[in-house]
Formats: sequence, structure tokens, C-alpha cells
Amino acid sequence: MKDLKHLIYFENLLQDAQNELVTKAVEDGELALGYNCYYIPEVLLNLEGCFSSRLRAPNCTSTDIASYYMTNRTCPYARSILERAIEGGYNYLSCLFGAESCATMERMEEHFFLINPVKNEKFFVTQIDPPMKGDQTNLDYYKAQLMLKVVEPMRDRLGVDTSEAAMRKAIEEHNELCRVITEIGNFRKLDNPPITGYEFHVIQLVSQVCPHKLILPYLKETLEEIKTRKPEKKFPFRARVVLVGSEIDDPEFTKLIEMCGAMVVADRYCFGSLPGREEIEILDGETAFDAICRHYLHWNQCARFMDGMKIDQRHNEAKRLVDEYKADGIIYENMKFCEFWSYDKVLANHIFTNEHHIPCCTIEKEYALGAVGQLRTRFQAFIESLEIKSIQGGK
Amino acid sequence: MFDKVIASIDKKLERFDPIWQAEHGKGGQRSRYYDKTGVAKYREWRGVKDTMVDYAAWLKNLMSMAQMVASAPVACLKGFWEYRWMGSYLGTFMFIDRLFEGYRGYELKIAHLNMHAIVRSLTKKIALVLANDRRLGGGPLTDRMVPMDEVLPPLFMTGFKDLIPIPLQTLPEFIICDVDQHIEPYYIDVAESFGLPADVCSRCAAETGVAMDDAFPIIGKAMLSTNMPCNASEATSMFQRRRIGMPDFPVTLAMIHNEPGAHPYSTQMLKDAIAFIEKEYNVKYDWNELFKYAALMNEQNTIELEKWDYMKTPYNPLVGIAETLYRLYAWASVNGQDPYFNKTDRKVIKIIRKAYEEKYEPFAGKTRHRAFLWGPSAVYYTDFPTWIQNCWGINIVLNMDSTMGHNMINTEDPEEAIKDLAIFSEKATMRHHAVGGWDNVNAVWEWAKNFNCDMVLYNDNIACKGMLGVHAVMEEQARELGFHFIFIEHDLEDCRTVSRQDMRNCVNSYMSVVLGEEPLDPTIVEFDDSAAY
Amino acid sequence: MKTVAKIGGKVALTALIAFVGTFTLYITNGENKLIYYVIRPLLNKHYDNQVRDRRIV
Repeated sequence: MKDLKHLIYFENLLQDAQNELVTKAVEDGELALGYNCYYIPEVLLNLEGCFSSRLRAPNCTSTDIASYYMTNRTCPYARSILERAIEGGYNYLSCLFGAESCATMERMEEHFFLINPVKNEKFFVTQIDPPMKGDQTNLDYYKAQLMLKVVEPMRDRLGVDTSEAAMRKAIEEHNELCRVITEIGNFRKLDNPPITGYEFHVIQLVSQVCPHKLILPYLKETLEEIKTRKPEKKFPFRARVVLVGSEIDDPEFTKLIEMCGAMVVADRYCFGSLPGREEIEILDGETAFDAICRHYLHWNQCARFMDGMKIDQRHNEAKRLVDEYKADGIIYENMKFCEFWSYDKVLANHIFTNEHHIPCCTIEKEYALGAVGQLRTRFQAFIESLEIKSIQGGK
Repeated sequence: MFDKVIASIDKKLERFDPIWQAEHGKGGQRSRYYDKTGVAKYREWRGVKDTMVDYAAWLKNLMSMAQMVASAPVACLKGFWEYRWMGSYLGTFMFIDRLFEGYRGYELKIAHLNMHAIVRSLTKKIALVLANDRRLGGGPLTDRMVPMDEVLPPLFMTGFKDLIPIPLQTLPEFIICDVDQHIEPYYIDVAESFGLPADVCSRCAAETGVAMDDAFPIIGKAMLSTNMPCNASEATSMFQRRRIGMPDFPVTLAMIHNEPGAHPYSTQMLKDAIAFIEKEYNVKYDWNELFKYAALMNEQNTIELEKWDYMKTPYNPLVGIAETLYRLYAWASVNGQDPYFNKTDRKVIKIIRKAYEEKYEPFAGKTRHRAFLWGPSAVYYTDFPTWIQNCWGINIVLNMDSTMGHNMINTEDPEEAIKDLAIFSEKATMRHHAVGGWDNVNAVWEWAKNFNCDMVLYNDNIACKGMLGVHAVMEEQARELGFHFIFIEHDLEDCRTVSRQDMRNCVNSYMSVVLGEEPLDPTIVEFDDSAAY
Repeated sequence: MKTVAKIGGKVALTALIAFVGTFTLYITNGENKLIYYVIRPLLNKHYDNQVRDRRIV
């Protein structure tokens, strides 16, 4: 396929948390609001006058100082974010909206006020207590937490307009971006897609780490380009997989899988678009804020959910993606030391393999892709098994 | 006359007393053990009076066990045959012996009063569960039992007059891991054989292993799980709900629970749980019944608060593991449901008051440091507080888990009562301070100061993400505030990763290298107890 | 009176024998040795031979 016009530009934007678009927005007077987790609705952070910045620590090869603070036995994603903060990589942030999504994430975010690594006088941190079930009681709590820890601080400390009208406008803009990303992502359903999993991963990531207003024109242009882009004559991969798991914010990981021969056709992980790029619908009689809370609680498929309905939703959703994106199997990832995904990986492997009869490969990874030899061997073996299965007619 | 005779016998037999032996360089606590095993050649000679106190307690506990078997002989036998964890309960006597090594006088009396309450309650519970376990044939109370997560305080369930809440993991895991260090590694291995990584909390891995090994008793019609205390515990419930296969309700109390905004949510969550049980068991909640048991819990907590006042002084005979284990069991498992614990508390507080009046110093005044124990403790080394006192003279005056919910519950107004219960329940085992925000964990310094401690022992569970995440900041705080601070590395329920001796080494190094102190009993500085229960 | 003394004597003797027996067991740590060296190894052998329904459901 012909190279995408903006791909290299997008890749460059992913080399730093404070990329050129972030810098431009901040220079234009926009407030950069950091967050780590899907539990913090991105749309709220894109109210007029501010923009969301989902925290990554690209090219973080060493977490020495963060490991001093949090030991080397905690999630490497959390440690890398802290390390990057200590290095001064997030000084552009006006605040961090944290979530006690897991103990390590909470502790990492606490260091943002304990050791004050972000050198920005406006900077402050709040942390929501996110819900663990999908019922009404938890929805009410979610709303209360978001109001108390996100909306009110934005209004009272940053002077952001959080009115109903402002939220409706933010939803409209958010939906526009979601439509573009979803449309691009839908090409992956084709038998011979005009986009690779890697390219989509890059596109999805820039949409999360760049100011929406500044990145949207590039995304729209890319969509138009893909519409007319000619795919390879023959589908160049040996298999199609859905990638499920936790924080995967390095497109090189997707590239690694694809170089082993399987196209990543669906991205069901933190930083992915499924969920992440569904449009928010405001029901009759509902406020914009209520719609946002309902939407994010419904679509959230975090491994920390405890009620049967949400656990089943998590696995059923992966199954749906396999069907819809015509995948041959699932790669189920967990970050080292992540307790939620470590457990879910075991259960999911059982469910996919024995109940849904979907081939599943479970892996554990570090945040920074260093020694990938073992992973490559695992992927190659899995893809080979998918191929053999396909040759044998699915048996 | 009588005292003179006893004194003369004591004098004659003093060479058998390990404390005397250590003082005179002729041995010590470890001298009477067979190497590695934890089996003593003979029991500790503590002088006539204290040996008789210990003997009487042993006899009393023996009777409780006999009663357990007599009350459900077939079920108990079947239980021993079916469940690996049941076999570990045979180590109870050895467990009690090692917990109270070196205890004399008032501290010994109190320790046994507390321990007997636990043994009595636990033996009854074992008989009750086994006699109604569907796997072993079931019983008349099977359908009236409500299996619930061990970390969910069961007090709110007392409002169901005809139901019996049973902390599900208590028998196969929560208690027995204290008794036998080798039982949970078996279940951990089962879980890991299914692909669970070895870096998750070993307690939760063990629970998962029990579920996969099909080793939970089968009781009740619907279960209550919970998000307490932490991430791995939440995750393990996924496996338990599938294996047990009953309708379940996760009682997810607020994680960040030190904020006013959390309590209305937790209150509603308890109401939802009550509604779930009403529906599943077709019963009605009775607030008056709750008030009855809440009053018992209030009395226990009132006495507990008085105990704390005495603990702040050097004249408190309720010490170390005698305090910790009792509070843990009395709070987490009993939670106001058994008046015998109130009776015990009343007796104990009387002794404490008396000891204070007499200016009685436990351990013959050999305490050199007063320590606050912070973070979830290694359950495979329950006698660690005993060891640290006997070896280095460090008295653990209070443990993090002892500070669990101590607010009073309203006993007149249901609406107020449920609000109080929410706050009470949020501050549950291993959770009150270990998770849910920086302020909770940072509270240690205030606690340590209030209890006149010069030392903080920080349980460094190598898989506890909540505590690992504040490692350096805690150390820096200790330095700033002038506390002696020791990280005690451990792996909670897996003695293979960090052995008991590895844990002792953490203390030994600090005491000898940093503080330059000599041990009180050199025989227990370094020894091999890897094959002990 | 004699009968009472006789019964009292018997009770005292029984109590004494019971005390001597249990105290000997106690001080020699007899029950723990029996459990550690005999009962538990047998039980463990049984547990190790059990066929358990080990699976994720």
C-alpha cells in the first residue's frame, strides 16, 4: 500500500507527551488536562478552553527514580508515567484528573502531589473513586465523583464553563472525532483492509494525546485518503487477531504482532478505540452530564468490574469483535504486575477457548518494549497454530 | 507457705526456663526444639504458676476440640478426609504454643483468655459448616447459611434473624494460613498451574486455588462477595462466583473511603445487599435484631478503646500477637455475633486495669522499643511479634488491623444505624489504612506517636501494590520524623518466596547494624523453622 | 461417711490420674509429636492421592 500522507507526522507526535500540537495549544492559552484512565471521560476534559491529554511515557527505557519511590514490583506503566513526570515531561499540564482504577495507579497519581514533579503553578490533582459495578447505585456514585472531582474543580479552579450548553457542545465535537476514528477503524472489517493495525493504532493514539481541535483536520484528511487507498493485491497477513488487554500505548507492540504475520483488526484495550470512540447519545430528558456518565459506565470494560453483568460484557464484547472483524483469534495481554488483568487473563483464556471456542494467546508484557524475542516466539507459534487451524478447516 | 514451696520449686527448675537459660548463656527458646520442625522436645517451663496456667488453657482448648468432634463426628471425619485444609487444623496446639513463647504472668493469662475465645468460636464454626456442607451430605441449616466474603464485616447480616452468615474463605484460607505455613502454597500452586502469575497477592492466589481445587464447603443459596480489601481480592471473586455457582452480589464499598462523599454510596450498597438477601432467601430484615448485636459490637469497641488507653503506657499486659490475633478474629469473623467475646473482653479489661494499678510491666520489663506494626502482616509467620519481643525486646503495641472500624453503631434508628454500619464496614481488615488514599497510609505516624512508639515496623508484602506504591515516601517520612523504621519483607501466604528467617533477617540486620543492639536470646536470632507448621 | 470418703477418694484418685496423664502428655508435647510425625504424614499421603475436580468453571 502507498504510505499514508500524515503517518510519519503522527508517529513523530507520539514521540513526546508534549508534542508540537500540545505546545501550540498551551501557547494559545488552552489548559492541558491530564488523565490516565477511561474512567475519566475524555469528553469532559475537552470543554471549551481546555483539552485532554492522556498520559503516555514514550521512549521511557528506565524507571530508576520511579522504582525508588514505588519499588520495581509495581506496574511498569504507572512507574513510567511517574518517571516521565519527574523528568519534567508533563510540565505543560494544568491538572491531573486521576482515578483509583487500581492501587498502583492511585499511588502513582498521589506522587503527583506528594513530590510535586510537575512544575506548573496551576497544577493540582484530584482522584475519583471509580465504580466497580454497572448498576444504578454505582452510576449515581460515578456521577457524584465526577461532579466533585472533575467538573467542579474545572469550574471553580480553572474557570472552565461547565454549563449544560458547554457540555452539549463538547459532546458534539467529541462525537465528530469519534465518527472519523470509527469510520477509519471500520475499514479493518474488510477482508483486505486498506489500513494496517499499526497505522490505526497510531491514528487512534494521536487522537488521544493531541488537542482534538488541532488533530481533527489531519484525521479527516487521512480518512479521505484511506477511502481511496488501494489495499495490497492479496491480504498480506496470515491471520487476523483481536488484541485485548490493558495499557497498550506503544504502536510498536501492534507492529510486532503484525510483523509476526497477524493483523490486529480490533483494539480492545486501554488506549484502544473499542471502547473509546463510540458516540455519546443524549437521551430525551437527560442532561449532557448524565449522558456522559451513563455512556462511560456502560462502555467501560475494565477488568476491575466485579458484577456478573459487567464481567460477561467484557468477554462477550471481545467475542463480538472477533465475529464482527472476522478475527481468527484473540491475543490477551496484561501488563506485568497488573492484578486485575492477570486474573482476567486466566478466566478469559478459559472462556474464549472452552466456551466460545476462539483460539486465545495470553501474554504478559513490560510497558517499554525491550527484549521482545520471547513475545515474538509466542506470537509466531500462535499465528502458526491459527494458520494450521484454518488449513484444517477450523478443526 | 504455699508461695514458698512454689518459689523453691521454681528455683530448682529454673534451668529449664528458656528465659533463664538465655539470661545465663545456657540456651534459650530454640534449645528445646528439634531442628527445622517446630516440634518442641518438651513444652516451655515457665515456672509452676505460669506452666499451670498454660496447661489449663491447653486442656480447655482440648475440650473445645473434643466438643467439636462430638457435636458432628461424622461430618468432622468426612471433613478431614475431604479437605486438605482440615488436616492443617491439627497443628493448632503447636500454633498456640509458639504464639505465646516467653509469655508469663498477666500477659499469659490474657493471651489464653483471648485465644480460647477464638478456639471455642472456631471449633463451633467448623462443626457447623461441615455438618451443613452439601458436599458432605448437607444438614438442616444448609439453606439458612449465607456464604460471604471473609473481609466483608458480617454485623449488618445479623438483622436476618434466621440466617447464619458464614465468612466463606475463613476456614480453608483466612485462619488456617496462620496455623500452618505450608497449606496455602499448595493452593497457590493450583492457581498458578492455570496461568495466574506469581506476582499477584498470595492470599488472593490461594483463595483462587481453593476455588479451582473445588475445596470450598458448599453452603447457602446466594453469596455476598466484596471489593475489599484490594485489587487482587476483587479479581479472585470472579473465579469463586463461577465455581460456587450461586447468585452473587458484590458489596462494593467505597475504595477512597476517607471522604464524606463515600459514605452515602457505601450506605446504599449495604441497603442493596440487604435487598438482595431478602429476595434470594425470601426473608425480611429485622432492625431490632441488628440493634441487639450492634450493642454487643459497641461494647466490644468501647472496651477496645479503653484498652488502647492502657496500650499507650508501659503497663499493658495485652501485647503482641495476643492482641492482634484476637482483635482480628473478634472484629472480622465475630463482629458482634458472639456474646462470649464480650465476656472475654470484660475479663481481660479487668486484668488490664489491675495490671496498670500494679504498674506491671510485661515481659519482666525487658521491652526496649515500642513498635507500631503497619501494613498487612505475613500470616505464615503469625508468631513474628512473639519472636521480635523475645529476641530483640521490641514490643508491638498495636497493629494496623487492630484499628479497624471502631465507630459506634446507632441502636435505635435504622437510617442512622445503616450509615454507621457503612463507615464501620469501610474500615475493614487490611483495608482501613493500606488502600483508599494517601491519608490512610500516612496515618501511621500519628498512631505511632499517640501510642508512644519509637519504632514503626512496615510490613513489606512484596505483592501488595497499595503499600509498595508508597515505599520511599514512607521511608523519607520516618527519617524526617525520627522513627526507627524497618521494612519487613514478606509474601503474605507464601513462605517459599520470603521465608520466616528472611523476615527475621530484616530485623536482625537493622537491630545489629543500625542500632548496634545485642539480642535478648541469641538462640532465636537465626534458626531454621522451614519445616515447622 | 465412709462411702462419701470412699467416693471422694476415688474421685480424687481419678482426678490425680487424669492430671498426671494429661500433664505428662502436655509437658512432653506428646500430642504434637504424634500429630507431626504420624498423623499428618498419613493424612498428607491421602490428600496427595486424592483425585480432585480441579478446573476453572
